[in-house]
Amino acid sequence: MTRTAVFAREQLRAPFTLALLVVIPALFVVSAAGALNDFASALGGSLAGDAAVGLSAGWAAAFISGALGFFQAASSRGADRRLALAGLGPARVALSRIAASVGLAFIAAAAAFVALLLRVDVAHPLHAGIAVLAFALLYLAIGVLVGSLVSAPLEGSLLVVFVFLLDAFSGPGMSGGSPPPWAVSQKAADVLIAAGTGTDTPTDEWVKVAVVTGGALVAAFLVFVASARSRA
Amino acid sequence: MNARIAAATRMGFREQARRPLLLVLLVVLPFFFITRAIARTEPTPRLIGLPGGGEVLTTMKDVHGASMVTITVAFLAALCGAFIMRSAQSADRRLIVAGFRPMEAVVPRLAVLASATGVVLTVSLAVTALSFTPASWPAFIAGNLLVGLTYACIGALAGAALGQLGATYLVLFLAMLGIGILQNPMFGDGTPGGLAYVFPDYGAGRVIIDGAFSPGFHAWGELALALAWLTVLGLAVAGMLRRLLRTAA
Repeated sequence: MTRTAVFAREQLRAPFTLALLVVIPALFVVSAAGALNDFASALGGSLAGDAAVGLSAGWAAAFISGALGFFQAASSRGADRRLALAGLGPARVALSRIAASVGLAFIAAAAAFVALLLRVDVAHPLHAGIAVLAFALLYLAIGVLVGSLVSAPLEGSLLVVFVFLLDAFSGPGMSGGSPPPWAVSQKAADVLIAAGTGTDTPTDEWVKVAVVTGGALVAAFLVFVASARSRA
Repeated sequence: MNARIAAATRMGFREQARRPLLLVLLVVLPFFFITRAIARTEPTPRLIGLPGGGEVLTTMKDVHGASMVTITVAFLAALCGAFIMRSAQSADRRLIVAGFRPMEAVVPRLAVLASATGVVLTVSLAVTALSFTPASWPAFIAGNLLVGLTYACIGALAGAALGQLGATYLVLFLAMLGIGILQNPMFGDGTPGGLAYVFPDYGAGRVIIDGAFSPGFHAWGELALALAWLTVLGLAVAGMLRRLLRTAA
């Protein structure tokens, strides 16, 4: 079995984790979509109907992946040090850890996406799927970054929740005015809303999504490598 | 108080005090979350149902002000419960081997958990008071305390039964669904119903709304329901801890 598969299986060893990874994003999409519509109106935003359902899929994938990334990075400190010292090196360990997390985040994103497709008619399903995956990968990177710097599970999970809430409250359609800098999922959310409403997304917007998501993953990788090296 | 319980409680609090980042987050997160949420809510008129059958015309801003402290306390207390329970599982077994009786190890943990809930509640109420004044502070505080303790117990049970990741997913989802959506009069027709009744936070949620918007107290039945749920969950947590620690003996 490859290192990546072993790391992924390690996260799924606890009871019901895999089931929760699939069920919770789906349940979130089903239960939160209507409330998001009302919530956005209360905050002076313009999110409505199918766009709210789309955004709920993105946030579900984001929340699940953020926590996953944190625990994947934070819980492996001792083991990663020993693996790096045994000859694997910090870069390969980091790559395997993040690849395992990407695989699990993909499962969560897929669950949220399927729930989205079952809940509403999505005009551009492929665009929506990519945007939901972008949410998941972005927050996976945030979780890995937090987990590389903070090992305590309560503090780390609170930090991930804090970033998520900052972003969610500032997202597109959730409030009036231009988005603040901590609305990290802004670009992915714009694509997701556009996919739901049938609006085409310009190429430069796709590039922005790719740059933000890719940049976050690279940053998480580098911080993880640096922290794995310093754990020696 | 039993000397062992006193010592273990003291050490439990000292353990938490050694985590400055946690203390900062327990203060900063409620401050930011509640202040920002209330500030950004529009004062749109909103009719909500009160316990006892009455209705009140208020605004979304006031309803959000009343509900934000509850959501914050539920989230944070649930997470604290999950991880305090997990640290208890690993550390307290050594106390049992060293001669502590299971209850002498359980009571301090429950005290730490209740105190963490109290800290979050105090900060959240203080922040809320800057923007919102409930009709009855005692009922409002009591309801929020019940919600916090209820979710702390739910978090503790999830922490014992699931892994770190699973417990985090479950408690945050339940808090979001229960207090954030089902019990929240910002959504639907302004009165919780349907699935909201079966959640353990239903009674406490209605006590909070009564305290927030009703000059008199009409939620006696809901208060009894909340206390019953808290008793059941508290006994379940104590029983779970005893069982886990007894197997180490």
